[in-house]
Amino acid sequence: MTRRVAALLLRVAVRRWPAELRADLAREWAAELHELARTGRRWGMLRFAASLAAGRAATPLTDRAGSRRLGRTAGVLLLAPPACVAVLALAGVVMGLTHGWLEMRVPWATAAQLPTWSALTALLGVALALVVARAARRTVRVGALPTALGVVLPIAATVTATLALFAGRGGSRVWESAPGLLLWLALLTAALWAAGALARRGRVRAAWLAGLLGALVAADAAVILAVVTSIPATAPVADGLPPDSVDRISAPLRLFTCWTDSSFGLPRPTGWERFLITDRVLVEPMFHLAGTPYALAYAIAAARPAPAAVPGPESVPAPA
Amino acid sequence: MRLTIPVAKVLAALLVEPEAPRYGLDLMRLTGLPSGTLYPVLHRLQDAGWLAADWEDVDPVAAGRPARRYYRLTGEGIRSARLALAELRALVPSERAGGADPAGAPAW
Repeated sequence: MTRRVAALLLRVAVRRWPAELRADLAREWAAELHELARTGRRWGMLRFAASLAAGRAATPLTDRAGSRRLGRTAGVLLLAPPACVAVLALAGVVMGLTHGWLEMRVPWATAAQLPTWSALTALLGVALALVVARAARRTVRVGALPTALGVVLPIAATVTATLALFAGRGGSRVWESAPGLLLWLALLTAALWAAGALARRGRVRAAWLAGLLGALVAADAAVILAVVTSIPATAPVADGLPPDSVDRISAPLRLFTCWTDSSFGLPRPTGWERFLITDRVLVEPMFHLAGTPYALAYAIAAARPAPAAVPGPESVPAPA
Repeated sequence: MRLTIPVAKVLAALLVEPEAPRYGLDLMRLTGLPSGTLYPVLHRLQDAGWLAADWEDVDPVAAGRPARRYYRLTGEGIRSARLALAELRALVPSERAGGADPAGAPAW
């Protein structure tokens, strides 16, 4: 009877602790209770269980752990988008220096500009993603949609602040980027949501695949929208010069055209069309490249199932 | 790490034999702390990286009891605990410094 009461009290006590600790605590306290029962300490059993059930120290512990996790989550999610802007700027500076060094030495220096910027941005973006994924293991674990929104909203805030900064400095066409960026953010949210939902079910590989495909579609759609809304599909030829238009047939390739300044051997987009496209959308595709790796890495790392509560191989030998 | 009296008692008990693994009842006996105070302290110390917890490698059938969870100070924990207790001891008025510990915990 005493043991049953003690076991009941322990069940109450264990529920007051964070969910990820409960299995271990229940196992540990059951072992202690067994020891007390074995040595016939009935009152000891009751005192042991009642103290845990009535103790108030577990709540502040939960709060402290929760506060730390919350602070870490906010830190990661709020700092990562400005870090993306920094990645973009750093890659741009390195690209400029590289081009300056190459242009007097090789004839393909100009053609290498965009691929260099893209490659550097992707490299730094992946490095940022590794840091974020590591930090994401100790952040607040919520549903896939709140996680996706938690990633995307700070990006939206950073983009808005950056656009406002450039607009304030006299950039007259800055806000023309807004529709494309809004579409990108909306589709990226869906991609992160899907990836997070798959990762929560333990399907991490499928999560990466779905997330990468979704993010590519999001970025491509954003670039297509930006080009379609600002450059006509047809325009009159004047003075024998190529028209200021971009044929719609090459639309799906535009994201990759922006990253590589290439038509991949296809007749469209032509060299002039590539110039018009990259003149209209230059920075946005690079920002997509800088931000997507970390966004996806966070959504998947934060959604992974919690490690099993029962510990594995680490153990100590039984003392004599 | 905020050094409360229960934390100091647990650290002092563990520092008596830093390499010896201790389980919950063992620490309750050494510190005089009730279980409702001890376990939160143990988890705070783990969170701070001062304490490691490992499950006993024992066959419950052969041993006739479930495996216990053993606690041991980490290297960082030993250094930090010694420093923290030394700082705490420096704050204690000299006439009480050499006296017996009121809770019956091991001397530190």
